[in-house]
Amino acid sequence: MSEGGRKVVIVPCSGIGKTYGTVSREAAYEVTEDLRPTDTQLVALSLLVLGDEDARAAVAGRPAVTIDGCKLACAARMVEESGGTVARDFAVLDAYRRHRQFKPQGIAELNDGGHELAHALAEEIAAAVDDLSRNGGEDA
Amino acid sequence: MTEFLETTVDKFIFRVATDRYYSSEGLWAQAEASPLPLGEGLGVRVRIGLSDYLQQRSGDVAFVEVKPEGTVLAFGDELAVIETIKASVSLASPVAGKVVEVNPAMEITPEVINQDPYGEGWLAVIEASDCPPFLPPNFGGERGGVARLLDPQAYFLEMKREAEEEAKRL
Repeated sequence: MSEGGRKVVIVPCSGIGKTYGTVSREAAYEVTEDLRPTDTQLVALSLLVLGDEDARAAVAGRPAVTIDGCKLACAARMVEESGGTVARDFAVLDAYRRHRQFKPQGIAELNDGGHELAHALAEEIAAAVDDLSRNGGEDA
Repeated sequence: MTEFLETTVDKFIFRVATDRYYSSEGLWAQAEASPLPLGEGLGVRVRIGLSDYLQQRSGDVAFVEVKPEGTVLAFGDELAVIETIKASVSLASPVAGKVVEVNPAMEITPEVINQDPYGEGWLAVIEASDCPPFLPPNFGGERGGVARLLDPQAYFLEMKREAEEEAKRL
């Protein structure tokens, strides 16, 4: 569990019909459900856009890790506009540049490359969550 | 200072630099100062890059592979392949000649194509072996490069028409 029970908030891209958006969400699910379920909380970007009080409360005062599918960086922007702090912003495109062997394709169903890229990204995010947990929410 | 033609289609703004020529595909070609007399043609360095429209339509660039220095290309030969978040796009050379310089940024920071398509995002420099595109429009001949490239105004109109058609399909 993160220091003081403060979970790291994970906010992925909500881009529908976009391969990189799908990769971002799959990575977020893997982090929050499999890799670091007790240290993280998934918050839907769409709820922040709607101004949902519970979602805004979740990001307020907690470190947030955003995962953006394109340069519009909607996840990072909405966390900030919702009063949260982006401790780390991951971009799927940058992850792909680091893992060129995993070429993502597909939208509703990712190809093997997409799954592999999501997994690699999830591992990077999990490491970031560990850093944030160790440092009480301050990025190392 | 470079001047631009500009149009807005849907929510997108597209700019066309007026100081260079364009292939219909959307690659620009800009002749550099040459020690050779105007009209000599051979040996003129021509810098190549993507138009603003082409880079926006292609999407965020992940990787770029440009033909290495020394590669000899005919007009229309593949000069580079860009891999974007949408697709892999093969780019045909707008001039014939030898690749004499490749932008080193393509290896490390290919996103510069999206950030500055008419400046730091250039792809390569080709030493033209063909009629280069800086020559006056009335310079003809069977090997005339100008005839195969569009001037900024013509490309602007072509690009605008294509962008508007694309917007209607969405």
